[in-house]
Amino acid sequence: MLSSHYLEGCLSNSTLYVPEVFADCICEQLIKKGRVFVLLLTTPYYFQLVRERERERDMGKGGSHGGEEREENMAAWLLGVNTLKIQPFKLPTLGPDDVRVRMKAVGICGSDVHYLKTLRLADFVVKEPMVIGHECAGIIEEVGSEVKKLVVGDRVALEPGISCWRCDLCKEGRYNLCPDMKFFATPPVHGSLANQVVHPADLCFKLPDNVSLEEGAMCEPLSVGVHACRRANIGPETNVLIMGAGPIGLVTMLSARAFGAPKIAIVDVDETRLSVARRLGTDEIVKVSTDIQDVAEEVIQINRAMGGRVDVTFDCAGFNKTMSTALNATRPGGKVCLIGMGHHEMTVPLTPAAAREVDVIGVFRYKNTWPLCLEFLRSGKIDVKPLITHRFGFSQEEVEEAFETSARGGNAIKVMFNL
Amino acid sequence: MGEETEENMAAWLLGVEKLRIQPFNLPSLGPHDVKVRLKAVGICGSDVHHFKEMRCGNFIVKKPMVIGHECAGIIEEVGSQVRSLVVGDRVALEPGISCHLCQFCKEGRYNLCRNMKFFGSPPTNGCLANLVVHPASLCFKLPENVSLEEGAMCEPLSVGVHACRRAKISPETKVLIIGAGPIGLVTMLAARAFGAPKIVIVDIDNHRLSFAREIGTDEIIRVSTDIKDIGEEVIKIQKAMGSPVDVSFDCVGFNKTMSTALNATRRGGKVCLVGMGRSEMTIPLTSSAAREVDVIGIFRYRNTWPLCIDLLGTGKIDVKPLITHRFGFSQEEVKEAFETSARGGNAIKVMFNL
Repeated sequence: MLSSHYLEGCLSNSTLYVPEVFADCICEQLIKKGRVFVLLLTTPYYFQLVRERERERDMGKGGSHGGEEREENMAAWLLGVNTLKIQPFKLPTLGPDDVRVRMKAVGICGSDVHYLKTLRLADFVVKEPMVIGHECAGIIEEVGSEVKKLVVGDRVALEPGISCWRCDLCKEGRYNLCPDMKFFATPPVHGSLANQVVHPADLCFKLPDNVSLEEGAMCEPLSVGVHACRRANIGPETNVLIMGAGPIGLVTMLSARAFGAPKIAIVDVDETRLSVARRLGTDEIVKVSTDIQDVAEEVIQINRAMGGRVDVTFDCAGFNKTMSTALNATRPGGKVCLIGMGHHEMTVPLTPAAAREVDVIGVFRYKNTWPLCLEFLRSGKIDVKPLITHRFGFSQEEVEEAFETSARGGNAIKVMFNL
Repeated sequence: MGEETEENMAAWLLGVEKLRIQPFNLPSLGPHDVKVRLKAVGICGSDVHHFKEMRCGNFIVKKPMVIGHECAGIIEEVGSQVRSLVVGDRVALEPGISCHLCQFCKEGRYNLCRNMKFFGSPPTNGCLANLVVHPASLCFKLPENVSLEEGAMCEPLSVGVHACRRAKISPETKVLIIGAGPIGLVTMLAARAFGAPKIVIVDIDNHRLSFAREIGTDEIIRVSTDIKDIGEEVIKIQKAMGSPVDVSFDCVGFNKTMSTALNATRRGGKVCLVGMGRSEMTIPLTSSAAREVDVIGIFRYRNTWPLCIDLLGTGKIDVKPLITHRFGFSQEEVKEAFETSARGGNAIKVMFNL
C-alpha cells in the first residue's frame, strides 16, 4: 500500500507527521520495529496494538529486542528418567532462512511425558541430554537475511519438523514421512521448551490478530486431528465415531466437526472425560469398559447412539479392544483411522473387516496443516481454549509439577507453559 | 425351440463332500433375463470350501444348493425387453445380482449390497448346470478371439482387477504378491496389465513359484511358514525388488503373510488384504499405521467384466495357462474335479467343459 521508500523515509525521523489515512499502517510498522512513539494522530487501532505488544513483552523474561544485550538462553533439558533441569541452551547461529523466536506458550504432549518417564518412544531413544517440548508459539526477535514474509514482532506458531526436501516422499508432499525428519524433542533433536529457539521461517506461521499465543501452541495437537480428518475424507456425509476422549480424541472431534461431520459419537472408559467431550460439542457419548468380551455389546450401543451408520472411526487409543470395536462398528466400505499408539502388535478381527472393504488408514503426525488450523481458530470454527486446563510458569519447580500434572491425566487435558 | 425341453441338470451340494447331478428347475424368463446354456464352469476355492464344510465364512449351506459361480455360455433365449443380446451370443456371466435400491448399490459399490444374490453362495443356487436364467445386464458378450473358458476365467480375474483398482496399481507402483495360488496369479496378471513396473511373488511352494515366473513374474522368493523368519524375508524381498515396495497384496491371509506384507511395504504405501485365512489376526498394525501404510480391504469385485474381456481380447492378459485340469459334466467327473481342485499342488484352475 505504501512504498517502502516512503516508509524508510518515515522511519529515519524521530518525529513525523503523517496523513490520517496512512496512520494505522505506519504506526503498526513503527511498533513492529520497536519504536513506539505516538504523536499527533490517535486512532483506537494502533493504541490497541501498542498495548498488546507491551503486554506480550511484559510476559517475557525481559529480553531485549534488537539484540543489544543477549541474556543467556535457558531450556528444560531431559537428563534422565524423571529428570528435567532448566539449564543454558546455546542457540545455533541464525541462517539466512531462519528466524529466532522468543517462546511464549509451550504445551506438553503425551510423547513428552513418555520420554520423561522412559527415555524412549517406539524406535526413538534418548541417548544424551535433550531439550524437551514441541508444541509452541512465540514472538519473532530476529530474522535471517533472506526472510521476506516475517518481521520482528510477528506472533507465530511453530511447526516442529524440519524435513529434508530432497527425498521422494518430501517431493511428493508427504514430508511428514521423511526418513531424515528433524523434529523438536524427538531424539536427537532438541525441543522448544526454552526461552528462545532458532527455526526455519517457512515453518513459522503468523497468528491472526484474534488468535492467542496459547492457541498458536495448540495448533500442533490440533494438526494431528486435522491431518487424520483429511486422510479419512471427513465431510458433511461422514458420521464419525471416536475411540478415546483424551487430548487427541478431543482435537479429532473438534476437527471432524469443523470438516462438517454431521454426527459424532465418542466412547471412553472415563466419565469425566466423556462429559468434557459432550460440553465441547460431541453429539453422543458412550461409556465403555476395558473388557474385550464387551466389544459386541458396545458395538450395538454405538450403532444405536449413532442412529445411522458409522462411516469413519478414529481409534485415538490404539489397543486391541478399541481397534476391534472400531473395525466391527464401522459400516461396509467405511474407514478406520488408527491414530493412537497403544501396542506395537495388535490382535484384531481384520479379515472380516477387510472382507467388508473397511479400510485401515494410518496417520503419522501431519503435513501442511498450520494454515488450516489457524483459519479454523481465526474464524471460530474451532475453539481449543477449553482444552487448556492447567498453566505453569517456566521455573524448575513449575516444570516438574507441570509434567507430573500432565502424566496424571484425569482432568488434566492440556498443560501449558507460559513463558 | 421349446417343443421338447430337455431336463435341466445341475451339480447339487447335498452334504459334506456330497455332490449329485440332479434336475434343476429353472425360473421363468423375466423380460430382462436371458437363458444361457453353460459351456465352461470353473471351480473356486470357495466352492471347495462349501463342498468340504458346507460353509464359507458366514455363509452356511442349510439346504441343497447348486454349486459353482465362475461361468460362460451361449444365449438360448432372451426376455422381451432385452436389446443388447441375441440368441447365439457367447457371454461371460457376472454371478451377483444386487438389489439396486440400497445406498451401496446407488453409490456404485454394489459388491457390498447386503441383499446380494450370488451364484453358489447359500441360499442362491449356482451355475454348474446345463442351463441358467440370469439378468441380461450381467451377461457380457465375448469377442470372437476370446474362448468360453477364458470367459469363465473373468470371474477369478475380476478379483485381481478389483484389487488392483482399489490399490491404485499403475506404472509407478512396485508390487509384492504373497501367495502364488490362483488368486495370487490373477492378481499378478492384473497388476502387470495395470502397468506395474516390477512384481515380486513369494510362496512356500517351489512349483507354484516357477509357474508364476513362467507366466511373467519378475522375481520369485521361497518363504517359510515360520513367523520368526519374517525379518529376514523382508530383507530378501526388498533386495529382490531393488527399490521400496509400494503395494503388497496378501492373497493368503495369515498372521505371517500379513505381518510380512506390513513390514515389507514402504512408508505411505498400501497393503491389500485379498486372502481370507483367519478371522482374527495378530499383526504389527501400530507400527505400519505409524508409517501411514494403509490396509485396503477387498470383497469380490464391481464393474470388472468389460475391462477383463478387453484385457483378454487384446492379449494384455493371458489366463489360458492357469487352466490346468479339465473335466466333463458327469457324476464321476464332477467328484474327481472337486477332489483335484481341493488337492491344490499343481492344480491351479480346474475347468468343466459342458
